[in-house]
Amino acid sequence: MASPNTKANPAFYAVIALLVFMSVGPVILMFMNSFKLDVDIISGSSGLIFLPTIQNYEKALCDVLWYEPDHVDFCSLKFGGAFINSLIIALISTVLTLVIGCMAAYALVRFRFMGRDTVSLSTLMVRMVPPAVLLVPVFGLWNNEFCLDRDGLIGGAIRDTFGGRGDVCLAGTHSGIILIYVAMNLPFVIWILQSFIVQVPRSLEEAARVDGAGPFQVFFKVVLPLIKPGLAAAAIFTFRIAWNEYLLASALSDRDTRTMPILIVNNMSEFNVEWGVIMATGMLLAIPPIIFTLFASRQIITGMTAGAVKG
Amino acid sequence: MLTIRLENLIKRYGDVQVLHGIDLEMADNEFTVLVGPSGCGKSTTLRMIAGLEEVSEGEIFVDGKPVSHLEPKDRDLAMVFQDYALYPHMNVAQNISFALRLARRPKAEIEKKVREVADTVGLTEFLARKPGALSGGQRQRVAMARALAKDSGIFLFDEPLSNLDAKLRGQMRAELALMSQRVQKNMIYVTHDQIEAMTLADRIVVMHGGYIQQQGTPEELFKRPVNKFVAGFMGMPPMNFLDGEIVEHDGGVFVKGDGFDVQLIGEKAAKAQKHNSKQITLGIRPSDLAFEADAEPARALKLDVEVSEYVGAQSVLLCKCGPARVMVEVNSQTPVALGQTLTFAIDPGGVHLFDRNTEVAL
Repeated sequence: MASPNTKANPAFYAVIALLVFMSVGPVILMFMNSFKLDVDIISGSSGLIFLPTIQNYEKALCDVLWYEPDHVDFCSLKFGGAFINSLIIALISTVLTLVIGCMAAYALVRFRFMGRDTVSLSTLMVRMVPPAVLLVPVFGLWNNEFCLDRDGLIGGAIRDTFGGRGDVCLAGTHSGIILIYVAMNLPFVIWILQSFIVQVPRSLEEAARVDGAGPFQVFFKVVLPLIKPGLAAAAIFTFRIAWNEYLLASALSDRDTRTMPILIVNNMSEFNVEWGVIMATGMLLAIPPIIFTLFASRQIITGMTAGAVKG
Repeated sequence: MLTIRLENLIKRYGDVQVLHGIDLEMADNEFTVLVGPSGCGKSTTLRMIAGLEEVSEGEIFVDGKPVSHLEPKDRDLAMVFQDYALYPHMNVAQNISFALRLARRPKAEIEKKVREVADTVGLTEFLARKPGALSGGQRQRVAMARALAKDSGIFLFDEPLSNLDAKLRGQMRAELALMSQRVQKNMIYVTHDQIEAMTLADRIVVMHGGYIQQQGTPEELFKRPVNKFVAGFMGMPPMNFLDGEIVEHDGGVFVKGDGFDVQLIGEKAAKAQKHNSKQITLGIRPSDLAFEADAEPARALKLDVEVSEYVGAQSVLLCKCGPARVMVEVNSQTPVALGQTLTFAIDPGGVHLFDRNTEVAL
C-alpha cells in the first residue's frame, strides 16, 4: 500500500512520466513520421518542424483510393486485400476460439471425466510452447500432408473455382492460418474462461435445470451471459494476437492471403526501406484493434453474478 | 392425487453411505418438513427427489410412477434454493417467467402469470429490477415467486430461510405458512430449525445420521418422541435428561439418580417395571417443571439455581441437579434468587423415559 506522502514524491511522478513516454513515445513518433517524406525521416532531424504530407498514406492505400496519386507510378501494395485478409482471419479465429474455448472450459470445470486433470494441465503446458517451434512442423504439414489431390473430386472442384497448379493444400489458405491461430490461442482462452465459469454458482445451474432447461439451455441461457466479461477479455486477447501475428502468417500465407503485418515488411527491400509508408501502414494497422477493444471492453463489467446467491 | 413415495432410498458417495434406506410416503397437499442436524441427509434426500442427485439404490414414486431416472425438468416440480439461486442477468420479471419462457407458453399468459405471482408475494413494484438491487428478503420472495409461477405439483424448499436475519425469518415463515394454505400443493421443506418445522409442518420427519428417526405431526413428535434424539431435538429450550436407575421402594416405582428420586405413576410405572434394564434416562421438558415450594418430594426436583436468563414473559433458569444441568422455564414474575435451592414440581404427563443404552423411549 502506498501511503499518501509517497504520491507527493517527485520521483513517483518521474517514474510515471517515464512509463508514459516509453509507451506513448513510439506511437507519437510513428504518427509524425507517417506524415513526413522519407528524406525528412532519414535526415535525422527529428524536429517538429516539417511539411506534413499525406503521400505516405496515399501510397499505402493506393489500391483502394478512388483516384490515382501523381507520385505513385506503380501500385505495388495490396492494402485492401491484406486488410480484408487480416480481418477475416482475426475475426473468424477469434469467434472459433471463443466458441470452442467456452465449451471446453465449461466441460473442464463442471464435468468429471477420465483425464480431466491431465487435459486441464496440458492445455496450460501447450501454451508455454513458443509459436516459432510450431512453425517448421506446421509448415511441412500444411504443405504436404493436409492436401486434397488436384485430380480428386473436392480438390478438383476447388482448383477449378479458385485456380492454381498443384494439389489443394492448407498452406496459403485462410483456413490454414485460422486453424493455427485457433490452436495457438485456445489454451489461454480455456484457461481464462475456466476461472470465470468456476465463479458461476452451481445452484444457478440447478435452478435452471429444475425450471426446465436442458444442458444446452443451461449453458447458453444461464452460464454464457454470466461469463460475458470473460468472453470479452478473451476476445480482445485473441483478436490482438491474431491481428499482430507475423511469423506464422509469413510462412503460411501466399500472395492472396497475406495479412497486414506481412504487407508492412514488404516495404523493405534490399535497395530501399520506405519508412514513410511503413509508418503510415502501421498507423492504419492500429485502428481495427483499437475499435475492437473499445467495443469489447464495454462488456467487461465486474460483479456480473451479484445478487445471484445470498449476499 | 399426487402422492410421493420414497422406497428404500439409498445414497452413496464412493464407499461412504449417507442415506440408509429411506422409506417415506407423502400424501397429496401435505406440507412435509424434513428436519435434522447438519449432515443428517435431509438435503440429499430433497435433492434426490428433485433429480439433482442420482439415486444409488431404491426408487422415488410420484403418483405411483417411478421417476428416479427422469431429468429434473420432467418431474413436475419447483424448488426454492437455500442461496436463492436467482439469475443475476435477468430482472425480477424475467427470473419469475424463466420456466414459462422455456416451456414456450404464450406471451400474454406469461405476463398475466408474472403479474399474478408478483402480486401474491408483494413484488409488483420491483419487477424491472435485477436481483443485485434487491434486499435479502426481496430476493427470497423472488425465489418463491419463481417457484410459484411454474405451477408444479410439488414444491421443494431447501432451507429457504436460513440466510435471512432472525426478524425477517419470522416474517417470511408466517408468509410461507399463509402461502402453503393458499396454493394447496405438495410441499417438502428441509430445515435444521425445529421451530420452522413445528410451525409450518403438517408432518415432520426427523432425520439423523442418514436414518429417519421419527415422523408424525408436530404434536406427536413433541409429546411422544420415540427416542432420546428426537426428544432432545424438538422443543426449545431442549429437554432435560437425567441418568438414573429404576428402583422400587415404599410401594412405588421410582427413578433414582444423583440428587433426585422421582416416583413414576400410572402407565409409565408399569412400563418401567417391565423393562429389562434398570439403567434409564429420565427426560423432562423445561416447561413441564413448575416452581412450587411445598410440592410433594416424590413428584418434584430440588434444584440449585445457577443462572437466570430473562427472555421477556418467561425466564429460563439454569440449575444444577447433582452433576447434571437442568433447564426450567418459569414465569418471569417468579421470585428467584441465584444460588437458592428450590423445589420444582414435575407435570405427571411430562415424564419421558429412555433406555440409557439404546436411547429408545419406553
